[in-house]
Amino acid sequence: MTILAPNSPLSAIEALRGDKTKRPLSDLSSASGLRAQLEDGIYSIVGKASPLSPLIVRSSSLRQHHNTTDIQQASLSLFRGILVTQVLRLLSVGVEVTDPFSEALSAWRCEKSGSELVRSFNQLDKEQVARLEADVNAHASTLKRSLGTVSATWLPRSCVRASQRFAGGHVLLFDVVDLMVGSTTSELASVALFDVTTSPLDAGAERTMRFHALMQTLKTSVVPLRTSIFSSATGELWTSDVDYEILSRSADEVLSALNDMWKYV
Amino acid sequence: MSTLLYRRNTIQNINELIASAPTASSQLTNDHRASLSARFRAVNATSNRRLDAWMVEQAGRPYDPFHWTPQIARRVLGTSALRRINSRSDLSLSQAVRDELADHLLRSTAGYTQSGSLSYWLSGLSHASLGLVCAEAVTWATTTYEVLQGIERPWQLAQSDAYYDVSAARTSLRGRRDIVINHDEQRVVLRLRAGSPGKSSGPGLRSDLTIDALASPTGSAASRFIGVWPDAGVCLSVDGTMADLRAGARDLVRTAVVQQRGQLLKAA
Repeated sequence: MTILAPNSPLSAIEALRGDKTKRPLSDLSSASGLRAQLEDGIYSIVGKASPLSPLIVRSSSLRQHHNTTDIQQASLSLFRGILVTQVLRLLSVGVEVTDPFSEALSAWRCEKSGSELVRSFNQLDKEQVARLEADVNAHASTLKRSLGTVSATWLPRSCVRASQRFAGGHVLLFDVVDLMVGSTTSELASVALFDVTTSPLDAGAERTMRFHALMQTLKTSVVPLRTSIFSSATGELWTSDVDYEILSRSADEVLSALNDMWKYV
Repeated sequence: MSTLLYRRNTIQNINELIASAPTASSQLTNDHRASLSARFRAVNATSNRRLDAWMVEQAGRPYDPFHWTPQIARRVLGTSALRRINSRSDLSLSQAVRDELADHLLRSTAGYTQSGSLSYWLSGLSHASLGLVCAEAVTWATTTYEVLQGIERPWQLAQSDAYYDVSAARTSLRGRRDIVINHDEQRVVLRLRAGSPGKSSGPGLRSDLTIDALASPTGSAASRFIGVWPDAGVCLSVDGTMADLRAGARDLVRTAVVQQRGQLLKAA
Protein backbone atom coordinates (compact mmCIF):
# COMPACT_ATOMS: atom_id res chain seq x y z
CA MET A 1 0.00 0.00 0.00
CA THR A 2 1.26 3.48 -0.79
CA ILE A 3 0.95 6.12 1.91
CA LEU A 4 1.11 9.77 0.96
CA ALA A 5 3.50 11.75 3.09
CA PRO A 6 2.39 15.05 4.66
CA ASN A 7 3.39 18.30 3.00
CA SER A 8 7.06 19.06 3.27
CA PRO A 9 7.88 22.56 4.51
CA LEU A 10 10.45 22.99 1.75
CA SER A 11 10.40 21.76 -1.84
CA ALA A 12 12.99 19.20 -2.87
CA ILE A 13 14.42 21.53 -5.48
CA GLU A 14 14.77 24.38 -2.97
CA ALA A 15 16.56 22.03 -0.60
CA LEU A 16 18.88 20.94 -3.39
CA ARG A 17 19.81 24.43 -4.43
CA GLY A 18 20.39 25.47 -0.82
CA ASP A 19 21.90 28.78 0.24
CA LYS A 20 23.63 30.37 -2.75
CA THR A 21 26.01 32.36 -0.56
CA LYS A 22 27.45 29.23 1.06
CA ARG A 23 28.56 27.41 -2.07
CA PRO A 24 32.20 26.33 -2.27
CA LEU A 25 34.44 26.93 -5.27
CA SER A 26 34.21 24.30 -8.02
CA ASP A 27 36.56 21.41 -7.31
CA LEU A 28 38.36 20.65 -10.57
CA SER A 29 41.18 18.55 -9.15
CA SER A 30 39.57 15.56 -7.44
CA ALA A 31 38.55 13.68 -10.58
CA SER A 32 42.06 12.58 -11.53
CA GLY A 33 42.71 11.15 -8.07
CA LEU A 34 39.47 9.18 -8.20
CA ARG A 35 40.33 7.81 -11.63
CA ALA A 36 43.69 6.69 -10.32
CA GLN A 37 42.05 5.09 -7.27
CA LEU A 38 39.66 3.16 -9.52
CA GLU A 39 42.34 2.11 -12.03
CA ASP A 40 44.64 0.89 -9.26
CA GLY A 41 41.81 -0.93 -7.49
CA ILE A 42 40.61 -2.57 -10.69
CA TYR A 43 44.13 -3.75 -11.46
CA SER A 44 44.40 -5.31 -8.03
CA ILE A 45 41.15 -7.23 -8.70
CA VAL A 46 41.37 -8.12 -12.37
CA GLY A 47 45.12 -7.99 -12.85
CA LYS A 48 46.21 -8.55 -16.44
CA ALA A 49 43.29 -10.84 -17.20
CA SER A 50 41.03 -10.00 -20.12
CA PRO A 51 37.43 -10.98 -19.39
CA LEU A 52 35.49 -12.14 -22.45
CA SER A 53 32.86 -9.51 -21.90
CA PRO A 54 33.35 -6.25 -19.99
CA LEU A 55 32.34 -6.06 -16.35
CA ILE A 56 29.53 -3.54 -16.06
CA VAL A 57 28.75 -1.55 -12.93
CA ARG A 58 25.55 0.46 -12.61
CA SER A 59 23.93 2.04 -9.59
CA SER A 60 21.73 -1.06 -9.35
CA SER A 61 24.90 -3.19 -9.01
CA LEU A 62 25.60 -1.40 -5.73
CA ARG A 63 22.14 -2.07 -4.36
CA GLN A 64 22.11 -5.83 -4.73
CA HIS A 65 24.86 -8.40 -4.94
CA HIS A 66 23.82 -10.35 -8.03
CA ASN A 67 21.78 -8.12 -10.23
CA THR A 68 20.11 -9.80 -13.14
CA THR A 69 17.31 -8.17 -15.08
CA ASP A 70 15.00 -10.67 -16.67
CA ILE A 71 12.71 -8.77 -18.98
CA GLN A 72 10.24 -11.63 -18.98
CA GLN A 73 9.85 -11.20 -15.26
CA ALA A 74 9.72 -7.43 -15.35
CA SER A 75 7.64 -6.68 -12.33
CA LEU A 76 5.09 -3.98 -11.78
CA SER A 77 7.58 -2.13 -9.62
CA LEU A 78 9.91 -1.81 -12.59
CA PHE A 79 7.15 -0.24 -14.70
CA ARG A 80 6.18 1.95 -11.77
CA GLY A 81 9.73 3.25 -11.53
CA ILE A 82 9.90 3.93 -15.27
CA LEU A 83 6.60 5.77 -15.33
CA VAL A 84 7.33 7.89 -12.25
CA THR A 85 10.63 8.90 -13.88
CA GLN A 86 8.68 9.98 -16.96
CA VAL A 87 6.46 12.13 -14.73
CA LEU A 88 9.60 13.77 -13.31
CA ARG A 89 10.88 14.47 -16.82
CA LEU A 90 7.62 16.16 -17.74
CA LEU A 91 7.57 18.20 -14.53
CA SER A 92 11.18 19.29 -15.11
CA VAL A 93 10.18 21.21 -18.26
CA GLY A 94 7.06 22.71 -16.75
CA VAL A 95 4.47 20.37 -18.25
CA GLU A 96 1.23 20.36 -16.27
CA VAL A 97 0.68 16.70 -15.45
CA THR A 98 -2.99 16.12 -14.71
CA ASP A 99 -3.28 12.39 -15.37
CA PRO A 100 0.13 11.00 -14.36
CA PHE A 101 -0.34 7.38 -15.41
CA SER A 102 -1.74 8.04 -18.89
CA GLU A 103 0.65 10.87 -19.62
CA ALA A 104 3.71 9.00 -18.39
CA LEU A 105 2.67 5.95 -20.38
CA SER A 106 2.15 8.01 -23.52
CA ALA A 107 5.59 9.63 -23.09
CA TRP A 108 7.28 6.29 -22.42
CA ARG A 109 5.67 4.63 -25.44
CA CYS A 110 6.80 7.55 -27.61
CA GLU A 111 10.35 7.14 -26.32
CA LYS A 112 10.64 3.36 -26.34
CA SER A 113 8.15 2.23 -28.96
CA GLY A 114 8.92 -1.32 -30.02
CA SER A 115 11.20 -2.11 -27.08
CA GLU A 116 10.96 -5.42 -25.29
CA LEU A 117 9.85 -3.70 -22.09
CA VAL A 118 6.94 -2.00 -23.85
CA ARG A 119 5.93 -5.35 -25.31
CA SER A 120 6.14 -6.84 -21.85
CA PHE A 121 3.94 -4.04 -20.52
CA ASN A 122 1.37 -4.68 -23.23
CA GLN A 123 1.02 -8.24 -21.95
CA LEU A 124 -0.15 -7.13 -18.49
CA ASP A 125 -3.76 -8.01 -17.74
CA LYS A 126 -6.39 -5.39 -16.88
CA GLU A 127 -6.13 -5.98 -13.16
CA GLN A 128 -2.36 -5.46 -13.17
CA VAL A 129 -2.69 -2.28 -15.23
CA ALA A 130 -5.34 -0.93 -12.86
CA ARG A 131 -3.11 -1.65 -9.88
CA LEU A 132 -0.16 -0.03 -11.60
CA GLU A 133 -2.24 3.02 -12.50
CA ALA A 134 -3.31 3.56 -8.89
CA ASP A 135 0.26 3.08 -7.75
CA VAL A 136 1.79 5.46 -10.30
CA ASN A 137 -0.82 8.14 -9.60
CA ALA A 138 -0.11 7.96 -5.87
CA HIS A 139 3.67 8.12 -6.36
CA ALA A 140 3.36 10.96 -8.86
CA SER A 141 1.17 12.87 -6.45
CA THR A 142 3.86 12.64 -3.74
CA LEU A 143 6.51 13.66 -6.25
CA LYS A 144 4.54 16.64 -7.58
CA ARG A 145 3.82 17.88 -4.09
CA SER A 146 7.40 17.61 -2.91
CA LEU A 147 9.38 18.59 -6.00
CA GLY A 148 8.48 22.27 -6.27
CA THR A 149 9.00 24.42 -9.32
CA VAL A 150 12.09 23.71 -11.39
CA SER A 151 13.23 27.10 -12.65
CA ALA A 152 14.44 27.16 -16.24
CA THR A 153 17.36 29.36 -15.18
CA TRP A 154 18.78 26.44 -13.19
CA LEU A 155 19.46 24.58 -16.42
CA PRO A 156 17.45 21.45 -15.63
CA ARG A 157 18.23 18.36 -17.67
CA SER A 158 16.65 14.97 -17.21
CA CYS A 159 17.84 11.39 -17.73
CA VAL A 160 21.46 12.52 -17.87
CA ARG A 161 23.65 9.61 -18.89
CA ALA A 162 27.24 8.96 -18.00
CA SER A 163 29.61 6.20 -19.01
CA GLN A 164 33.23 5.59 -18.09
CA ARG A 165 35.74 2.99 -19.26
CA PHE A 166 38.47 1.55 -17.11
CA ALA A 167 41.12 -1.12 -17.53
CA GLY A 168 41.28 -0.60 -21.29
CA GLY A 169 37.53 -1.08 -21.68
CA HIS A 170 37.29 -4.26 -19.58
CA VAL A 171 35.34 -2.42 -16.91
CA LEU A 172 32.46 -0.13 -17.78
CA LEU A 173 30.60 2.16 -15.42
CA PHE A 174 27.15 3.36 -16.50
CA ASP A 175 24.82 5.77 -14.80
CA VAL A 176 21.65 7.74 -15.44
CA VAL A 177 20.69 10.64 -13.19
CA ASP A 178 16.97 11.43 -13.25
CA LEU A 179 17.35 15.19 -12.90
CA MET A 180 20.33 17.48 -12.79
CA VAL A 181 20.39 21.24 -12.23
CA GLY A 182 23.19 23.79 -12.19
CA SER A 183 26.16 24.55 -14.37
CA THR A 184 29.54 22.84 -14.58
CA THR A 185 31.15 25.98 -15.98
CA SER A 186 30.48 28.32 -13.05
CA GLU A 187 33.22 29.30 -10.62
CA LEU A 188 31.21 28.10 -7.64
CA ALA A 189 29.96 24.53 -7.38
CA SER A 190 26.32 24.54 -8.45
CA VAL A 191 25.47 21.13 -9.91
CA ALA A 192 22.85 19.24 -7.92
CA LEU A 193 21.80 15.69 -8.73
CA PHE A 194 18.31 14.41 -8.00
CA ASP A 195 17.26 10.80 -8.23
CA VAL A 196 13.79 9.38 -7.71
CA THR A 197 13.07 5.92 -6.42
CA THR A 198 9.70 4.35 -5.84
CA SER A 199 11.10 2.22 -3.00
CA PRO A 200 11.66 3.33 0.58
CA LEU A 201 15.16 4.70 1.18
CA ASP A 202 17.78 2.36 2.62
CA ALA A 203 21.54 1.92 2.67
CA GLY A 204 21.45 1.07 -1.04
CA ALA A 205 19.94 4.50 -1.73
CA GLU A 206 22.91 6.14 -0.04
CA ARG A 207 25.30 4.18 -2.25
CA THR A 208 23.27 5.26 -5.28
CA MET A 209 23.56 8.91 -4.29
CA ARG A 210 27.30 8.60 -3.93
CA PHE A 211 27.63 6.71 -7.22
CA HIS A 212 25.79 9.47 -9.09
CA ALA A 213 28.19 12.03 -7.64
CA LEU A 214 31.20 9.89 -8.52
CA MET A 215 30.07 9.36 -12.11
CA GLN A 216 29.28 13.04 -12.57
CA THR A 217 32.74 13.92 -11.27
CA LEU A 218 34.47 11.42 -13.55
CA LYS A 219 32.46 12.59 -16.55
CA THR A 220 32.85 16.35 -16.23
CA SER A 221 35.96 16.50 -14.01
CA VAL A 222 33.93 18.90 -11.84
CA VAL A 223 32.71 17.80 -8.41
CA PRO A 224 28.97 18.44 -8.03
CA LEU A 225 27.64 20.53 -5.17
CA ARG A 226 25.02 18.13 -3.89
CA THR A 227 23.52 14.74 -4.54
CA SER A 228 20.10 13.57 -3.42
CA ILE A 229 17.58 10.80 -3.64
CA PHE A 230 13.83 11.10 -3.17
CA SER A 231 11.46 8.29 -2.36
CA SER A 232 8.05 8.75 -3.90
CA ALA A 233 6.82 5.95 -1.65
CA THR A 234 7.52 7.76 1.61
CA GLY A 235 8.11 11.35 0.51
CA GLU A 236 11.56 11.26 2.12
CA LEU A 237 14.41 13.23 0.59
CA TRP A 238 18.02 12.43 1.43
CA THR A 239 20.53 15.00 0.36
CA SER A 240 24.24 15.24 0.90
CA ASP A 241 26.93 17.79 0.04
CA VAL A 242 29.61 16.18 -2.12
CA ASP A 243 33.20 16.11 -0.96
CA TYR A 244 36.25 13.96 -1.72
CA GLU A 245 35.47 11.57 1.13
CA ILE A 246 32.05 10.71 -0.31
CA LEU A 247 33.50 10.23 -3.78
CA SER A 248 36.36 8.08 -2.56
CA ARG A 249 33.91 5.96 -0.57
CA SER A 250 31.83 5.46 -3.69
CA ALA A 251 34.95 4.42 -5.62
CA ASP A 252 35.57 1.81 -2.88
CA GLU A 253 31.97 0.60 -3.22
CA VAL A 254 32.41 0.26 -6.98
CA LEU A 255 35.57 -1.77 -6.41
CA SER A 256 33.80 -3.96 -3.88
CA ALA A 257 30.96 -4.62 -6.35
CA LEU A 258 33.55 -5.45 -9.02
CA ASN A 259 35.32 -7.79 -6.66
CA ASP A 260 32.04 -9.67 -6.11
CA MET A 261 31.41 -9.82 -9.85
CA TRP A 262 34.92 -11.03 -10.58
CA LYS A 263 34.39 -14.07 -8.34
CA TYR A 264 31.67 -15.26 -10.70
CA VAL A 265 33.49 -14.60 -13.97
CA MET B 1 50.33 9.30 -39.88
CA SER B 2 47.08 9.74 -38.00
CA THR B 3 46.59 12.97 -36.08
CA LEU B 4 43.95 11.49 -33.79
CA LEU B 5 44.12 12.93 -30.27
CA TYR B 6 42.26 11.72 -27.19
CA ARG B 7 41.47 14.11 -24.36
CA ARG B 8 39.13 14.43 -21.37
CA ASN B 9 36.20 16.69 -22.09
CA THR B 10 37.11 19.68 -19.94
CA ILE B 11 36.93 23.38 -20.75
CA GLN B 12 40.71 23.64 -20.59
CA ASN B 13 41.28 20.71 -22.95
CA ILE B 14 38.77 21.92 -25.54
CA ASN B 15 40.26 25.43 -25.51
CA GLU B 16 43.73 23.95 -25.80
CA LEU B 17 42.67 21.80 -28.76
CA ILE B 18 41.18 24.86 -30.44
CA ALA B 19 44.19 27.07 -29.73
CA SER B 20 46.71 24.48 -30.86
CA ALA B 21 44.94 23.67 -34.13
CA PRO B 22 47.34 23.76 -37.11
CA THR B 23 47.51 27.10 -38.86
CA ALA B 24 47.24 25.54 -42.29
CA SER B 25 44.91 22.87 -43.57
CA SER B 26 44.67 20.89 -46.77
CA GLN B 27 42.43 21.62 -49.69
CA LEU B 28 40.49 19.22 -51.87
CA THR B 29 40.80 20.01 -55.56
CA ASN B 30 38.57 19.09 -58.49
CA ASP B 31 40.90 16.16 -59.18
CA HIS B 32 40.25 14.82 -55.70
CA ARG B 33 36.51 15.17 -56.18
CA ALA B 34 36.66 13.44 -59.57
CA SER B 35 38.74 10.62 -58.13
CA LEU B 36 36.28 10.09 -55.26
CA SER B 37 33.37 10.13 -57.67
CA ALA B 38 35.05 7.47 -59.84
CA ARG B 39 35.57 5.24 -56.82
CA PHE B 40 31.95 5.54 -55.73
CA ARG B 41 30.77 4.91 -59.31
CA ALA B 42 32.74 1.67 -59.27
CA VAL B 43 30.55 0.48 -56.41
CA ASN B 44 27.20 -0.25 -57.99
CA ALA B 45 24.23 1.29 -56.28
CA THR B 46 20.78 -0.13 -56.93
CA SER B 47 19.19 2.86 -55.26
CA ASN B 48 20.31 6.19 -53.89
CA ARG B 49 22.99 5.68 -51.30
CA ARG B 50 23.34 7.84 -48.19
CA LEU B 51 26.48 7.58 -46.12
CA ASP B 52 27.55 9.21 -42.91
CA ALA B 53 30.06 8.80 -40.10
CA TRP B 54 27.72 6.59 -38.10
CA MET B 55 27.60 4.08 -40.97
CA VAL B 56 31.38 4.13 -41.16
CA GLU B 57 31.56 3.39 -37.44
CA GLN B 58 29.03 0.59 -37.78
CA ALA B 59 31.02 -0.93 -40.66
CA GLY B 60 28.16 -0.48 -43.13
CA ARG B 61 25.66 -2.44 -41.06
CA PRO B 62 22.20 -1.81 -42.51
CA TYR B 63 19.99 0.75 -40.80
CA ASP B 64 16.53 0.21 -39.44
CA PRO B 65 14.12 2.35 -41.47
CA PHE B 66 14.25 5.94 -40.26
CA HIS B 67 11.53 7.15 -37.96
CA TRP B 68 11.47 10.13 -35.65
CA THR B 69 12.00 9.57 -31.96
CA PRO B 70 12.51 12.09 -29.13
CA GLN B 71 16.23 11.15 -29.15
CA ILE B 72 16.57 11.95 -32.85
CA ALA B 73 14.50 15.13 -32.67
CA ARG B 74 16.41 16.55 -29.71
CA ARG B 75 19.44 17.68 -31.70
CA VAL B 76 17.42 19.54 -34.33
CA LEU B 77 15.20 21.21 -31.74
CA GLY B 78 17.97 21.80 -29.21
CA THR B 79 20.31 23.43 -31.73
CA SER B 80 17.52 25.63 -33.12
CA ALA B 81 16.67 26.67 -29.57
CA LEU B 82 20.29 27.70 -29.01
CA ARG B 83 20.14 29.81 -32.16
CA ARG B 84 17.07 31.55 -30.75
CA ILE B 85 18.90 32.30 -27.53
CA ASN B 86 21.77 33.79 -29.51
CA SER B 87 19.44 36.37 -30.96
CA ARG B 88 17.26 36.79 -27.86
CA SER B 89 19.22 36.55 -24.64
CA ASP B 90 16.13 37.02 -22.45
CA LEU B 91 14.87 33.55 -23.41
CA SER B 92 15.57 30.55 -21.23
CA LEU B 93 16.57 27.29 -22.88
CA SER B 94 13.26 25.60 -22.03
CA GLN B 95 11.32 28.58 -23.36
CA ALA B 96 13.38 28.57 -26.56
CA VAL B 97 12.70 24.85 -27.05
CA ARG B 98 8.99 25.39 -26.41
CA ASP B 99 8.95 28.24 -28.97
CA GLU B 100 10.68 25.99 -31.47
CA LEU B 101 8.11 23.24 -30.88
CA ALA B 102 5.31 25.77 -31.26
CA ASP B 103 6.75 26.92 -34.59
CA HIS B 104 6.83 23.35 -35.88
CA LEU B 105 3.24 22.76 -34.79
CA LEU B 106 2.16 26.04 -36.36
CA ARG B 107 3.82 25.04 -39.64
CA SER B 108 1.97 21.78 -39.53
CA THR B 109 -1.37 23.46 -38.82
CA ALA B 110 -0.78 25.82 -41.72
CA GLY B 111 -0.27 22.82 -43.99
CA TYR B 112 3.36 23.55 -44.83
CA THR B 113 4.65 20.15 -43.76
CA GLN B 114 5.28 16.96 -45.63
CA SER B 115 4.68 13.47 -44.37
CA GLY B 116 7.86 12.25 -42.69
CA SER B 117 9.05 15.69 -41.65
CA LEU B 118 9.76 16.61 -38.04
CA SER B 119 6.82 19.03 -37.93
CA TYR B 120 4.49 16.36 -39.25
CA TRP B 121 5.65 13.86 -36.65
CA LEU B 122 5.37 16.38 -33.83
CA SER B 123 1.84 17.32 -34.86
CA GLY B 124 0.71 13.73 -34.30
CA LEU B 125 2.09 13.46 -30.76
CA SER B 126 0.11 13.67 -27.54
CA HIS B 127 0.63 16.52 -25.08
CA ALA B 128 2.73 14.26 -22.84
CA SER B 129 4.89 12.98 -25.70
CA LEU B 130 5.54 16.57 -26.75
CA GLY B 131 6.59 17.20 -23.15
CA LEU B 132 9.08 14.37 -23.39
CA VAL B 133 10.44 15.67 -26.70
CA CYS B 134 10.80 19.05 -25.00
CA ALA B 135 12.66 17.44 -22.06
CA GLU B 136 15.05 15.63 -24.42
CA ALA B 137 15.68 18.80 -26.46
CA VAL B 138 16.26 20.90 -23.33
CA THR B 139 18.77 18.33 -22.08
CA TRP B 140 20.61 18.35 -25.43
CA ALA B 141 20.54 22.14 -25.66
CA THR B 142 21.84 22.50 -22.09
CA THR B 143 24.67 20.06 -22.70
CA THR B 144 25.67 21.97 -25.84
CA TYR B 145 25.28 25.28 -24.00
CA GLU B 146 27.69 24.07 -21.31
CA VAL B 147 30.28 23.28 -24.01
CA LEU B 148 29.71 26.67 -25.68
CA GLN B 149 30.03 28.53 -22.38
CA GLY B 150 33.57 27.27 -21.97
CA ILE B 151 34.88 28.17 -25.45
CA GLU B 152 37.09 31.24 -25.24
CA ARG B 153 37.25 32.11 -28.94
CA PRO B 154 34.25 33.48 -30.87
CA TRP B 155 32.07 30.62 -32.05
CA GLN B 156 28.96 30.15 -34.08
CA LEU B 157 26.47 27.33 -34.31
CA ALA B 158 26.74 25.50 -37.62
CA GLN B 159 23.97 26.60 -39.96
CA SER B 160 23.40 23.02 -41.09
CA ASP B 161 25.10 19.66 -41.33
CA ALA B 162 27.47 19.17 -44.27
CA TYR B 163 25.92 17.53 -47.33
CA TYR B 164 27.77 16.48 -50.45
CA ASP B 165 26.28 14.82 -53.47
CA VAL B 166 28.87 12.71 -55.28
CA SER B 167 28.35 13.44 -58.95
CA ALA B 168 26.97 10.62 -61.10
CA ALA B 169 27.42 8.06 -58.30
CA ARG B 170 23.94 8.14 -56.75
CA THR B 171 25.65 8.80 -53.45
CA SER B 172 25.10 11.54 -50.96
CA LEU B 173 27.32 12.09 -47.95
CA ARG B 174 26.19 13.70 -44.72
CA GLY B 175 28.59 15.02 -42.12
CA ARG B 176 27.60 16.21 -38.69
CA ARG B 177 28.85 19.51 -37.33
CA ASP B 178 27.53 21.54 -34.43
CA ILE B 179 29.87 24.42 -33.61
CA VAL B 180 32.28 26.32 -35.86
CA ILE B 181 35.13 28.46 -34.55
CA ASN B 182 36.68 30.79 -37.10
CA HIS B 183 39.92 32.39 -36.04
CA ASP B 184 42.33 34.08 -38.48
CA GLU B 185 42.68 31.53 -41.25
CA GLN B 186 41.75 28.63 -39.00
CA ARG B 187 38.40 26.89 -38.93
CA VAL B 188 37.84 24.45 -36.09
CA VAL B 189 34.66 22.37 -36.11
CA LEU B 190 33.09 20.68 -33.07
CA ARG B 191 30.69 17.79 -33.29
CA LEU B 192 28.71 16.57 -30.27
CA ARG B 193 27.56 13.00 -29.92
CA ALA B 194 25.64 11.10 -27.27
CA GLY B 195 27.01 7.87 -25.78
CA SER B 196 30.66 7.04 -25.65
CA PRO B 197 33.25 6.69 -28.41
CA GLY B 198 34.17 3.23 -29.61
CA LYS B 199 37.18 1.87 -31.43
CA SER B 200 35.85 3.14 -34.76
CA SER B 201 35.08 6.66 -33.60
CA GLY B 202 38.36 7.95 -35.06
CA PRO B 203 37.43 6.80 -38.59
CA GLY B 204 33.96 8.27 -38.04
CA LEU B 205 35.45 11.62 -37.10
CA ARG B 206 37.74 11.55 -40.16
CA SER B 207 34.72 10.84 -42.36
CA ASP B 208 32.97 13.90 -40.97
CA LEU B 209 36.13 15.92 -41.58
CA THR B 210 36.22 14.75 -45.21
CA ILE B 211 32.53 15.39 -45.84
CA ASP B 212 32.86 18.85 -44.29
CA ALA B 213 35.75 19.63 -46.67
CA LEU B 214 33.85 18.23 -49.68
CA ALA B 215 30.81 20.34 -48.78
CA SER B 216 32.95 23.48 -48.67
CA PRO B 217 32.86 25.29 -52.06
CA THR B 218 36.62 25.89 -51.86
CA GLY B 219 37.32 22.36 -50.70
CA SER B 220 39.31 23.60 -47.72
CA ALA B 221 39.30 21.30 -44.74
CA ALA B 222 38.81 22.42 -41.16
CA SER B 223 42.19 22.80 -39.50
CA ARG B 224 40.93 20.59 -36.69
CA PHE B 225 37.77 18.55 -36.25
CA ILE B 226 36.84 17.84 -32.63
CA GLY B 227 34.34 15.19 -31.61
CA VAL B 228 32.88 15.69 -28.14
CA TRP B 229 31.12 12.92 -26.22
CA PRO B 230 29.72 14.72 -23.16
CA ASP B 231 28.14 11.53 -21.72
CA ALA B 232 31.53 9.87 -21.58
CA GLY B 233 33.44 13.05 -20.75
CA VAL B 234 35.78 12.46 -23.67
CA CYS B 235 36.81 14.33 -26.80
CA LEU B 236 38.76 13.21 -29.85
CA SER B 237 40.20 15.35 -32.58
CA VAL B 238 41.70 14.95 -36.02
CA ASP B 239 43.57 17.55 -38.07
CA GLY B 240 42.69 18.58 -41.59
CA THR B 241 45.73 16.98 -43.18
CA MET B 242 45.63 15.32 -46.58
CA ALA B 243 46.38 11.95 -44.96
CA ASP B 244 43.32 12.26 -42.71
CA LEU B 245 41.12 13.46 -45.58
CA ARG B 246 42.22 10.51 -47.69
CA ALA B 247 41.62 8.08 -44.81
CA GLY B 248 38.14 9.56 -44.34
CA ALA B 249 37.32 9.17 -48.04
CA ARG B 250 38.67 5.61 -48.06
CA ASP B 251 36.46 4.67 -45.09
CA LEU B 252 33.40 6.10 -46.84
CA VAL B 253 34.12 4.12 -50.02
CA ARG B 254 34.75 0.97 -47.96
CA THR B 255 31.41 1.44 -46.23
CA ALA B 256 29.71 1.69 -49.63
CA VAL B 257 31.42 -1.54 -50.69
CA VAL B 258 30.34 -3.35 -47.51
CA GLN B 259 26.79 -2.11 -47.97
CA GLN B 260 26.73 -3.29 -51.55
CA ARG B 261 28.03 -6.72 -50.54
CA GLY B 262 25.35 -6.92 -47.87
CA GLN B 263 22.66 -6.08 -50.41
CA LEU B 264 23.99 -8.72 -52.84
CA LEU B 265 24.02 -11.36 -50.10
CA LYS B 266 20.50 -10.40 -49.09
CA ALA B 267 19.32 -10.67 -52.70
CA ALA B 268 21.00 -14.07 -53.08
